[in-house]
Amino acid sequence: MKHLIILLMVVVAGNAGAAVKVVTSLPDLADLARQIGGEKVVVESIVRGDQNPHAIEVKPSYMMKLKSADLFLMIGMDLELWAPQIIDGSRNSSLEVVDLSRRIAKLEIPASLSASQGDVHRYGNPHYWLDPRNIRIVVEDIVAALSRKSPADEQLFRTNGERYLEKLQTQIRRWEEVMKPFAGSTIITFHKSWTYFAAWLGLTVADQVEPKPGIAPSPSHTAKLISLVRQSGIRVIIVEPFYDASAAEQIARATQAKVLRLPTSCGGTGGATGYMELMDYTIATLAGALK
Amino acid sequence: MHCSVHWLCCGAIVMACMPSVALAQSSVNPDMSILPRFVLKTNDGERLAEGIREFSRPDFAFEELELAAQAYLNPFAKADVVFAIAGPDIEGSSLGLEEVYATVLRGLPLDLNMRFGKYRAEFGKINMTHPHAWPFVTQPLSQERFLGEGGLNDLGVSVSLLLPTGDVYSKLTLDLLRGGSIGDASGIPDSTGASPLYATSARVMGFFPLNDESDLEIGLSGYTGIHDPYNRERFWYGNLDVKYKYKPDAYTSLVVQGEVLQNTRKARQNRALAVYRDAAGNPAGQTVRSTGLYVFADYQFMKLYSVGVRYDWTQAPYSTDDRAQAIAVFLGYYPVEETLGVRLHYQHTRTEIPGESRSVNLIALQALFSLGPHKAHPF
Repeated sequence: MKHLIILLMVVVAGNAGAAVKVVTSLPDLADLARQIGGEKVVVESIVRGDQNPHAIEVKPSYMMKLKSADLFLMIGMDLELWAPQIIDGSRNSSLEVVDLSRRIAKLEIPASLSASQGDVHRYGNPHYWLDPRNIRIVVEDIVAALSRKSPADEQLFRTNGERYLEKLQTQIRRWEEVMKPFAGSTIITFHKSWTYFAAWLGLTVADQVEPKPGIAPSPSHTAKLISLVRQSGIRVIIVEPFYDASAAEQIARATQAKVLRLPTSCGGTGGATGYMELMDYTIATLAGALK
Repeated sequence: MHCSVHWLCCGAIVMACMPSVALAQSSVNPDMSILPRFVLKTNDGERLAEGIREFSRPDFAFEELELAAQAYLNPFAKADVVFAIAGPDIEGSSLGLEEVYATVLRGLPLDLNMRFGKYRAEFGKINMTHPHAWPFVTQPLSQERFLGEGGLNDLGVSVSLLLPTGDVYSKLTLDLLRGGSIGDASGIPDSTGASPLYATSARVMGFFPLNDESDLEIGLSGYTGIHDPYNRERFWYGNLDVKYKYKPDAYTSLVVQGEVLQNTRKARQNRALAVYRDAAGNPAGQTVRSTGLYVFADYQFMKLYSVGVRYDWTQAPYSTDDRAQAIAVFLGYYPVEETLGVRLHYQHTRTEIPGESRSVNLIALQALFSLGPHKAHPF
């Protein structure tokens, strides 16, 4: 009996010290979870920074990542249409799925839904993580989720989260300062990924290279954009690294605009290993192009 | 007056409830998809018996329409229903039930999944893929000969288990089936009215990520049942399937997939009920061991285009002398993912039976569309 009690104590003690296993959809969320969880978490991401998060193939290896996970952190708003199949396929009935969009002030919620509008997200534009002011909500929700899984470490998660947000707030002020001279500038983006980012910095997104979300550029739409860029003096076209930039480059050749290959997630370029580095890179590159 | 007030009150209550009712409705409505396929095709084999080889007049035909619905039944299970209207008579065809099944995803011991109903059994790889998702137009010959046009699609119950193989995804699936499918495909149709025939199938598969850009899946399947209900003779199928996919970016991918099926059956008569006899003319059972295989490569070279080639070689369920082989090349054009597709397919097929061989060229242009919600693509 004594041996059994000792064994149980060892098991309980072992579990108490076990790291929370977190899987995230995007590498940016993985970075945030690591910053908050420190050594108390083991984090993996499904999407790489150079991949289109909308178009992830359902692979059994992703199911294996979730099979032993405690938490799955996702952007939500139907960005990860592939997630339900991976969650179901993981057969992990104790997995907690955290949709981080629940408290986000959502933009571009469609009044009606039709495939004639392209790949429109019914809950609104899901690229909210590109406005760093939304990261406060994301961090708070991650702290809460980790604390549910490891209540003993709640204080550590809170402290780490607050420390991260302080640093982020400082950076936000610096980024805003850098971009202040360019407020009111007009840009073109390939996809509607930069809506929240533009709203934060007071930029105007005049149009997208895609005629409709998810629809490949057409010659007539490209011609229309060439006229628009010439008339409005637009200087920047943002294209994510995973999209074909040929239509954007055609517009750039015909005008004075410059094509910027900007990732929407960390890991999408060599230098940006975390969310803050991603935003640093994005702000520096954009400011340089708008000068 | 009292009655009017009563109805007005009821009306007001109904109106007040409507938003919540609408919300509840929308949250439980299944995802619906409609997937029709049309084909324009011609071949040069229709007048070979007259000694004439010429392409037939291209025939615009309706191949099939699938009407699919899928939804969660509750937090533990989901259900799939696929109705099909088979061509070519678009106006005269009746609606058939291609698949209807429920899958229990959670709540079972050992994290088992269970499926029951009528469904495409997990035998090999391509059997689980609906024709609209094939990169080519025609069914591989070995699948058609050994499993039938509709593939192994039967009533039954299935249990699957993830195997404890560390970080490698591996799964064992076991099916207990009604056993009617083999009679329609490569067995003798059952008109005995006797007890159910039953069939069982199993597949074990492993998924191996090779690097960030390429993955390999290998599966081994078995399937056994009664092919001759009059003599209760049994068949055994073994099947090896391999799929490799290389996807370096969103606009480029290469899929190489192949399957080898081995049939073993003891037979006293063939599908045409011709009794096997020994040299003296006495009825004598035979053991038939025959094989079929296909392999294809499909290369997506731009966002909208893919091109591929397929090779088929097969014998027949009741004869090793009845052989066929085919080479096919195909080009796919998908303007907006899977919502619209056009496939151009050329196939040269050579069939041989003792004392006779013939070859046929087929050209087919297939058009299809998908009306309904987008789904993530499975590996």
